[in-house]
Amino acid sequence: MKELLKKLCSIPAVSGREEKLREFIINEIKDYAEYSVDQNGNLICFKRGKSRAKKKVMVDAHMDEVGLIASYITDNGFVRFETVGGIDAAVMLARKVVFENGTVGVVGMKPVHMLSGDEKKTLPKADSLYIDIGASTKEEAEKVISVGDTAVFYSEPLDMGNNLLARAIDDRAGVAVLISLLKGTPEYDFYATFTVKEEVGLRGAKTATFTVSPDAAVILEATTAADIYGVASDKKVCSLGQGPAISFMDRSTLYNKKLFDLANALPIKHQVKEYVSGGNNAGAVHLSKGGVPTLTVSLPTRYIHSPSCLASLLDLEDMYTFSEKLIALLASGEGL
Amino acid sequence: MDLRLLEKLSCAVSLGHIDEARNIAKSELEKYAEVAEFGQCGLIAKIDKGKDKTLLLDAHIDEVGFIVTKILGDGFLRVASVGGCDARILPATVVTVHGKEKFTAVFASTPPHLAEDKKDVKGLDDIVLDTGISDIERYVSCGDLVSYKTDLCRLDGNKVSGKSLDDRVGVFCLIELARRVYDKDLEYNLIISISDGEELGLRGAVTSSFECEADEAIAIDVSFGDGPNISSEKCGKLGNGAMLGISPVLDRGVTEKLKKIAGDKNIPLQFEVMGGKTSTDADVISVSKSGIKTGLLSIPLRNMHTPAEVVDTHDLEGVISLLYEYLLGGGK
Repeated sequence: MKELLKKLCSIPAVSGREEKLREFIINEIKDYAEYSVDQNGNLICFKRGKSRAKKKVMVDAHMDEVGLIASYITDNGFVRFETVGGIDAAVMLARKVVFENGTVGVVGMKPVHMLSGDEKKTLPKADSLYIDIGASTKEEAEKVISVGDTAVFYSEPLDMGNNLLARAIDDRAGVAVLISLLKGTPEYDFYATFTVKEEVGLRGAKTATFTVSPDAAVILEATTAADIYGVASDKKVCSLGQGPAISFMDRSTLYNKKLFDLANALPIKHQVKEYVSGGNNAGAVHLSKGGVPTLTVSLPTRYIHSPSCLASLLDLEDMYTFSEKLIALLASGEGL
Repeated sequence: MDLRLLEKLSCAVSLGHIDEARNIAKSELEKYAEVAEFGQCGLIAKIDKGKDKTLLLDAHIDEVGFIVTKILGDGFLRVASVGGCDARILPATVVTVHGKEKFTAVFASTPPHLAEDKKDVKGLDDIVLDTGISDIERYVSCGDLVSYKTDLCRLDGNKVSGKSLDDRVGVFCLIELARRVYDKDLEYNLIISISDGEELGLRGAVTSSFECEADEAIAIDVSFGDGPNISSEKCGKLGNGAMLGISPVLDRGVTEKLKKIAGDKNIPLQFEVMGGKTSTDADVISVSKSGIKTGLLSIPLRNMHTPAEVVDTHDLEGVISLLYEYLLGGGK
């Protein structure tokens, strides 16, 4: 799964521009599942298992990632931008970015040597940042970039021991696990949704869930791991190397207690997310139609929404095994 | 111009005892000159033309980076900066730790739920380096060096972005110049000094200029390039040519000669006036031994001391052309 995740992390797919990633996924799964693409761009798949499911289970991973969108080009050829999804200014400065057509730019700022004392201690305001694509005039810039074009951080996936350092592990981790599940031989039939526009308000999941109309849902995600030196243990949220994290509550969902207890009782390596933070597609999925019992299974990831997300490949394997068992349990109808 | 050489120089590391970039410069210069290494100072390459006068050209090979000061456990390291550091850009920045092997590492960024004030810049005392390897102490010790890790990328126009362009662009210009002049009849004997330790207080140039018997010298470094929020009075514009240093610490004759060559040969040139020290190797070369008449050419560069430095390669060509004409005896 490591090589698959590396490939997935190399394909840019800022919210609303998921086409290339969707094509890649279709190519991966087309021999293993039935699929269709809805009006929003969601990829909805049906996987035939060894037996017919007693309960219809939907497994979701979002395709999109956070990024930048060009909003204005200055007379000197610099590109002003907005962020798509939440990105802190702290991780954008002096970063290379690459637009959809391959144009490379850097997020520039005043050199440290020219800063006054206060300026050195304060991050520049987001609206003072710009992308330098090398153009000297607006006309030159407009030959390669148009407003509305999106960019992602320029980064190639790198190995760090048993970990992977890459852009967009949120949520290519979920996508990698879901593709692998579709390629496997599950006990029961299930539905898989690769959704769009999670980072701009869970928009894809809303319509995909309506279409599938599941009895239960599992969200495959990446979540903040704050197991960093100096962070108090009650603020670590979850830790790398301890298996996938399941959530009882986050900023978008108070999870179904019965489902959480079922999952937590599975004798497969996992951890419980010990902090109420973040949010994901579960927020839209669990409110679909008359309500859907939903659980999130996440890959613990340090430095999420930055150009350099760090996650454990061992946790990724555990996440696959855990999800496979959880889906089978839910589809069997036992306990729900 | 062979931008592949610039790419090699930019991606290689010369920091403390790590001499990757210096070794590349050495093997390139050996094609055209007699090269000697001087421990702390760097390289000295001589092209002897049997002339009375000798011109010393200097660029520094070292880069800014970090040094491991403490192993914190669970794969985290504390580091201090080697040379000037822009702490604003550190979170999520990727680096190489030069331990028993090379390890990729990343500066921790603050998770959103712990960011009390997102506007505050954390210093190196408050930001840790994450190697992701829990028993990293087996491979990394205090005193090991840490360098930025990034590619050299082509931007639009003739610009490129990468790390350590301060001052690999200067080194690149001098190698390219050596290639163009080594078999020409010159007005001067040429000495090229690829000096170390500039970012730690112009250390290499102190000793290398002492080693050389030179009559005139020109330092090649970088200076501040234009950009939004930067006063155009305090910077050079990328693509408008090299910046000629004008300062009381520099020699007026050498400076005027460079200016005249630019005029005579239609080579674009901008001016950078400083009231005193230039914060380049020129400051120490000019007072070496009994003094060396010293000038300064700087290449405008954006985002100095970050892994996203930007230069216009046209400006490199301008520097090379100016120095070429200078060696041929222009500017009189």
